[in-house]
Amino acid sequence: MTIAAESSAKFGAHRGRTQMGYLILLLPLLVYLGLFYAYPVAAMMFRSIHEPRWTADNFVQIFDTGVYLHVLWLTVRIGLIVTFASLLLGYPVAYVLARVDRAKSNLLIILVLVPFWTSILVRTYAWMVLLGRQGIINQLLLSFGIIDEPVRLLNTTFAVYVAMIHVLLPFMILPLYGVMRGIDENLLRAAQGLGAKPVNVFRQVVLPLSLPGVSAGCLLVFILALGFFITPALVGGPQDIMVAVLIQQQVDLFNWPLASALAVVLLAAALLIFAVFMRTLGVEQAFGRART
Amino acid sequence: MLEDRKFIESLLSLALRSPHAADYGRRQFLRSVGRLALGAGVLTNLSRVFGNPYALAAEPATLPEVTSIPERLKGKGVVRVSSYGGAFQEAQRKAYFEPFERLSGIKVIESEGPDVVKVKAMVDTKNVEWDVAEFDLADVINLKSKGDYWEEIDYSLVDTGNIDEAFTHKYALDMLPYGQVCAYRTDAFKGAKPDGWADFWDTNKFPGGRTMPAGSGGLVPDLESATMATGVPMEKVYPIDIDKAYASLAKIKPAVVKWWEAGAIPAQLLNDKEVTMGIAWNGRIAAIQAKGAPVEVSWRQGALRTDCWAVPKGAPNRENAMKFTAFITMPVPQARLSLLIPYGFVNNKAVDYLPADRLSVLPTAPEIKKQLYVYNSEWWAANRDKVISRWASWLLQ
Repeated sequence: MTIAAESSAKFGAHRGRTQMGYLILLLPLLVYLGLFYAYPVAAMMFRSIHEPRWTADNFVQIFDTGVYLHVLWLTVRIGLIVTFASLLLGYPVAYVLARVDRAKSNLLIILVLVPFWTSILVRTYAWMVLLGRQGIINQLLLSFGIIDEPVRLLNTTFAVYVAMIHVLLPFMILPLYGVMRGIDENLLRAAQGLGAKPVNVFRQVVLPLSLPGVSAGCLLVFILALGFFITPALVGGPQDIMVAVLIQQQVDLFNWPLASALAVVLLAAALLIFAVFMRTLGVEQAFGRART
Repeated sequence: MLEDRKFIESLLSLALRSPHAADYGRRQFLRSVGRLALGAGVLTNLSRVFGNPYALAAEPATLPEVTSIPERLKGKGVVRVSSYGGAFQEAQRKAYFEPFERLSGIKVIESEGPDVVKVKAMVDTKNVEWDVAEFDLADVINLKSKGDYWEEIDYSLVDTGNIDEAFTHKYALDMLPYGQVCAYRTDAFKGAKPDGWADFWDTNKFPGGRTMPAGSGGLVPDLESATMATGVPMEKVYPIDIDKAYASLAKIKPAVVKWWEAGAIPAQLLNDKEVTMGIAWNGRIAAIQAKGAPVEVSWRQGALRTDCWAVPKGAPNRENAMKFTAFITMPVPQARLSLLIPYGFVNNKAVDYLPADRLSVLPTAPEIKKQLYVYNSEWWAANRDKVISRWASWLLQ
């Protein structure tokens, strides 16, 4: 009894020391994040309700003036469409990457990563070259006689989707690949051995096990898409305004409290959607590893 | 407080003002292309498609030399200058900074990306990093209305004899006039030439897409052209009737393919035939003309706008900043810049150093200047908030 208590106390002390050790290891990062991330974000939130005194005016203005919510909705809609399309395009790629042998998958990963390392502006300009009235796509369609005069592809919402999906696709593929790589191939063989057809192997084994990757990829892409700014400005149509543009506008007008309030609303929208993901897919699913 | 201002500043302030400000991002981009060493092929291809922004104009063989400066402009120490980087700042270095350093004995320390939002943050936190920087005059006036953010210009140093009164202000000194004008494809209208804003609005006579400045990205919509399109004469544009101007803008809205936020965009849209007519800054049009694009400027009823130097309150090298500002408005430095980039000059004596063929493309050349109206920065400083606040909801209507 005493021995057990003693050893448990020792063990507890040991564990306490280990945890202290972890904390020390984490400390530099925590200080860094606290100083340069948490504090400024908190200060921004504070400014949205307190400058120069306690007020909810900025939020009232946002919810009273339809335009902010309208633009927020446009931003969220673009984000959702881009996320969904990236998932459709990225999932098969990640699946192939995870299934082929190492040598091939390394090569393919590089193909995924090259655009990932290329400046977002370069990629956006590349789409301007491709989609323009005198761009390659229009020239091809014209030469095949499919169209009689150039169609407007650039400066449309369509172009925003295309360019954003291109920019964000690696953020979908990489988490998916990471999770799929971790799926034990023996499980697939076992399923096949037990007589499952390939469709069923996929539906009942691969798909459920890859869900953590799906949720991680979707979250990454969606949250990044919410803050997009340059791509819509360069390739978008006349009415493609993102909420980031309105925030900047208020900064320009020195209306920093309202800009902060808009940023807070955007943050809240992102967190809300994050929560929905968590609810539907489960917390441990989004961040945990595939349970093989 | 410091961190949070800096945070807001860096996170949210993508403020791109004035022609050079708006081109800043693009220059940064092309330079990063170079830096990333993506290869000459990519750069050449991009240049072919968009026109090389480095070649704003063919460089003249020789620039007129500044041989001496008044004793009062000499000094010692440094002056920290912020301008818009890239090819533009390179031209400024050649035209202004190098002769100033040589003749005054004051060292110029350059940085890039001036922004009045940053000035406010700097002065508020007493951490002024620029002694003098380039701004849009309306922004300077606007910030002045928020508080004591600027030093008064020391006119005892400036020889204003040949500088129009319109260019000298209490807290800023204009240094770079440019035209915000109508530009069109010469191959689009079977030889017809648009003349004035009524033609710009007439999509039957002049069919095709349009591009105009946006009310976002640090810019303001071109309400002057919208007003003139309704028949108001150039001299009576100010004060602008904002309701009427927006109503007029709504008429051209269906034809507008792109509301631009960066000066390079209208030039590129015209170059690539995405639009047949647009409102653009004259320097950008000169750049694509130099590349052979069939694009012409229609100066009539265009805006004569200016960038200015302004000195943030509490700038550590205030004295040197004033000397620097005074030097740049001298005739020869002004002419040197106009030879490097087709923007105008504020010192009328600069004409003496400019060849006739160059004068024909400069917005301040006497023949062109009289077709333009002087952009009313005072009006814009007072009304910008009102105009901008309506922009997004107007656009989405």
